[in-house]
Amino acid sequence: MGRKILLVEDDSETAAYLSKGLGQEGHSIEIASNGQEGLFRGSDGSFDLIILDRMLPVLDGIAVLKALRAAQVATPVLVLSALGSVGDRIDGLESGSDDYLVKPFSFAELLARVNALLRRREARLNPADHRLTVGDLEIDPLSRSVKRGGKKIELKPREYLLLEYFARNEGRVVTRTMLLEQVWDYHFDPGTNVIDVHVSRLRRKLEDGFERPLLHTVRGAGYMLAA
Amino acid sequence: MLAGLLALLSNLAVLGFIYWRTHDEAASALQRQVTEQGAVLADVYRTGGMPALTDAIQDSTSYGDPQTAVGLFDGSGRQQMGNLATLPHTTEPVRDGFSNGLLRFQGETTPEAAALEFRRLPTGQWLVSGRTVGDSFALRQTLERSLLIALAFALLLGLACGVILANYVSRRIGGIVAVTNRITAKDLSRRVPLTGNGDAFDRLGHRINEMLDRITALMDELRMVTDSLAHDLRSPVGRLRAAAHAAAETGDPAERDQALANVLRQADSLTRMLATALEISRSEAMTGREQFAWFDAGELTSELGEMYDPVVEEAGARLEIERPREPLRLFGHRQLIAQAVSNLIENAIRYGAAGGHILLVAGKIGQQLTIVVADRGPGIPAERRTEALKRFGRLDSSRSDEGAGLGLALVRSIAHLHSGELVLDENAPGLIASLQLPVSDDPAAEPADASAG
Repeated sequence: MGRKILLVEDDSETAAYLSKGLGQEGHSIEIASNGQEGLFRGSDGSFDLIILDRMLPVLDGIAVLKALRAAQVATPVLVLSALGSVGDRIDGLESGSDDYLVKPFSFAELLARVNALLRRREARLNPADHRLTVGDLEIDPLSRSVKRGGKKIELKPREYLLLEYFARNEGRVVTRTMLLEQVWDYHFDPGTNVIDVHVSRLRRKLEDGFERPLLHTVRGAGYMLAA
Repeated sequence: MLAGLLALLSNLAVLGFIYWRTHDEAASALQRQVTEQGAVLADVYRTGGMPALTDAIQDSTSYGDPQTAVGLFDGSGRQQMGNLATLPHTTEPVRDGFSNGLLRFQGETTPEAAALEFRRLPTGQWLVSGRTVGDSFALRQTLERSLLIALAFALLLGLACGVILANYVSRRIGGIVAVTNRITAKDLSRRVPLTGNGDAFDRLGHRINEMLDRITALMDELRMVTDSLAHDLRSPVGRLRAAAHAAAETGDPAERDQALANVLRQADSLTRMLATALEISRSEAMTGREQFAWFDAGELTSELGEMYDPVVEEAGARLEIERPREPLRLFGHRQLIAQAVSNLIENAIRYGAAGGHILLVAGKIGQQLTIVVADRGPGIPAERRTEALKRFGRLDSSRSDEGAGLGLALVRSIAHLHSGELVLDENAPGLIASLQLPVSDDPAAEPADASAG
């Protein structure tokens, strides 16, 4: 089901590219081309998500973000920025954004993050029962216990966190950087395949002895947990 | 100008003080003398009666001090005894006690200004003691004249000093201004001349020179980075272009897909390289210190060890982690330290995994926290270590590994951001990379909740 997304981006080429891509995903996009306009349109809280460029004319992205949060607008905000140093990312997240994506990025990365934010909003709006199930996989966040087909699966603490994050984004693509940021809380780019190694270990534990795969690799994007 | 004025003012203040003190002092000394004399004579009268007083008056008049006057007058003011011709004139009617007035000695025709002490005896007679101000008055006039001359001298001296001082200051500052003018004109080679006497100007000059040295070093580095960036970007951009070209040329869909994936990979590698170069520049410029906070470097180290453990295992080696049980508190940038340590671990995996063993140790000796990553690989020969720490100082030039040349340079710049250093050493065989970070136990820097630990 489509969502209302406000895209605040001054570069018309980027705006057109993103709006076309997100439109194909079934979302309806409105574009604001400067910070003031973005703040004005975003203030009524009618959007499901705001995608905000950090460097904008008239009013910069961080100022818009702070103004929105000061006005009690709780709409999730994804900041896009060419400022990509670790310090800039921390700064952007601490200013009240829900996610921070550095330019240049792949559309798959953006889409995965957009979906994760929309999903998080949904989960917040209708708190479901605390048990997570994906096919025959059952996860109990309270006891941190995992069962598949009634059989208990032993996971290390970090493996559990990884699985829980996957489960909360069931059926959606999750990228490597999202995992590094959300599961490990590191905001730098590792040069090795460290995330892949952890995912494949988790996959082995989840799928060994079962027919159906649960944890899928999505080429050029990341991974997805789905029954 | 200002200096001259200040000198003049202080001189005036000193002279004024001298004038006021001497003027006052002379007058009160005179009063004390006559009051004392009057009291002594009154005492003589009280103890010895008129005969004793008569003796005393004769004594003091025959003594011959030309300034001292003594006299006894009857109630109507007629002279009875002493060296005074008449009862002295005072501005107010004659009364007991001290007053200023005019007196005339016997045999003299001109009255003189004097300090006077009147005592009324029980017989109704007036006992007068006095002292002419003559001498002290003359002294005062001399003094005032000298003070005026001194004032004139002080004025001249003050002006001269002011001019000299102003000249000196403007000359010293002129030296600094000349240098800063050159800087504005883009010449950073000039330095402020120092006299070597360690005065405030020297200290200022020294600081400016230090600042210039630092700016020069940064600019040299910036130039170096820009040059090497422009140079080093040629090969990845070339690879990107070749990949794009291959994708455009091929007619086979499977081949095109592969070529396009290669284009994306090359673009990503280029992006990563730029990001790392940017991170290095920021750290070297000391940006990011505002995000410093307290954290446990030991915990971070074992967290990273745990994260890389499976990767090390896949590479066919074993990762051993050592850290003390107590927290290793560090005031720093957690994310950047994490990146630095992970770079060292990745480096060890990439080049040293063949040695079979990688050691990760966090510890603290004295005021220094050290995080060590040691491998058993080929290591880096001593003469090439400096080069390895340089930006783009890639040791293996045949290697097309993306960003590999920036890893150690980034770790070193993060160490610098924390006032620390990255030290490379021989592990015989292998490489020991130590991230050495000073920690302060300054209680002022402690966070409020530190007592919990």
